Amino acid sequence: MDIAVSEFLGFLNLSWQAVVMLLIAGVLIWLGITHKVEPVLLIPIGVGCMLANIPLGGTTETGGFLAVLRDAGIHTEIFPLLIFIGIGAMIDFEPFLQRPYTIFLGAAAQFGIFGTFFLAYWLGAGGLNLLDFSLNDAAAIGIIGSADGPTSIYVASVLQSKYAAAIVVAAYSYMAMVPIIQPPIIKAMCSHEERALKMPVVAGAISQRLKILFPIITILVVGLIVPKATPLIGCLMFGNLLRESGVVTRLSEAAQNEMANIVTILLGVTVGGMMVGIEFLRPETILVFVLGIVAFSLDTVAGVLLGKSMYVLSGKKVNPMIGACGISAFPMSSRVVQKLGLEANPYNHLLMHAAGANVAGQIASVVAGGAMLMLVPMFS
Amino acid sequence: MLNAVWIVLLGMAIIFAVLGFLFLTITIVDRLFCPREKKEAQE
Repeated sequence: MDIAVSEFLGFLNLSWQAVVMLLIAGVLIWLGITHKVEPVLLIPIGVGCMLANIPLGGTTETGGFLAVLRDAGIHTEIFPLLIFIGIGAMIDFEPFLQRPYTIFLGAAAQFGIFGTFFLAYWLGAGGLNLLDFSLNDAAAIGIIGSADGPTSIYVASVLQSKYAAAIVVAAYSYMAMVPIIQPPIIKAMCSHEERALKMPVVAGAISQRLKILFPIITILVVGLIVPKATPLIGCLMFGNLLRESGVVTRLSEAAQNEMANIVTILLGVTVGGMMVGIEFLRPETILVFVLGIVAFSLDTVAGVLLGKSMYVLSGKKVNPMIGACGISAFPMSSRVVQKLGLEANPYNHLLMHAAGANVAGQIASVVAGGAMLMLVPMFS
Repeated sequence: MLNAVWIVLLGMAIIFAVLGFLFLTITIVDRLFCPREKKEAQE
């Protein structure tokens, strides 16, 4: 009987790409466990990456379990949408409803998406042709600046970008790195006097009626103007309505806990399963990560610039730092601003103001994703 | 590259337009249908 041993033993089929990816999988798991960098996602992503790169394992071939999950959950865009229902049920929009003007800070901070898109397209098919970035790829890379994992996955999937896996890993990794990325930019842009500025406390609770009407109004306004954002904003606000209606506590808790947890496991392991060495290890992937930092930085700069405009126009009543929270990395960004505020003035508590801008950024990033999905096919 | 410039300009314009409209709607609904006692004070 003529048996080729190499057909049965995985280690005899290891390519250098598979070895590198197994090392990357180890680093992701290590970062998650040891340094607690987004462990909820990096551990499943790391394990998915490991499974996908074991030769002859068959997990990513047709019928393999990671391939089935990818087809069912990512290509259909179901996983990010289900996650959004959970996120909507977790978010309290009250800090934003008390300060609705913060929505403009969220809008400004989306410039990172479009600025990075422009840069990626210029480096790729639109200008220098140095990298294999098509218009769709550039748009999907730009969306890292949404600082929102599910939106990044959704937009990258709809645009069928070949860098979807790298984009998702970059989006989640940089969200965890917000406390490292944002402070130097904020300090460079805001003087000590500006950082020390206390903001008026908004007293008086928002009525329950407004909290209930808010998700319905948002679905209608955003959906009717940017229909491509309807799935994302619809799921986000559906989850929030479950929370605020007060009559479906069981459903709200299920969305926040059981559903969000199960889909997070499936999403993480599936995204990891998309990190197959031969497709993942290319120069463009490194550039995706570099452009991710550019996106987060531009978001911060644009948000703080509008914050500074509000500081001047309001007669020094708005602390410009809260503009940095227009990035939707909730709640890391709010904590960064709260910490910087306290450093400059021990009595300066900006957390709720920052949280207002932060949840406004969540809505703005979804609108930005929808706008990108609407505009890219128009100009392709 | 002109298409990319248009995407950047229109994208930001859409975001500000949609969120501006949402801001107006929330403000109006809040004032008209959801009265609340709102006090502002310096901490």
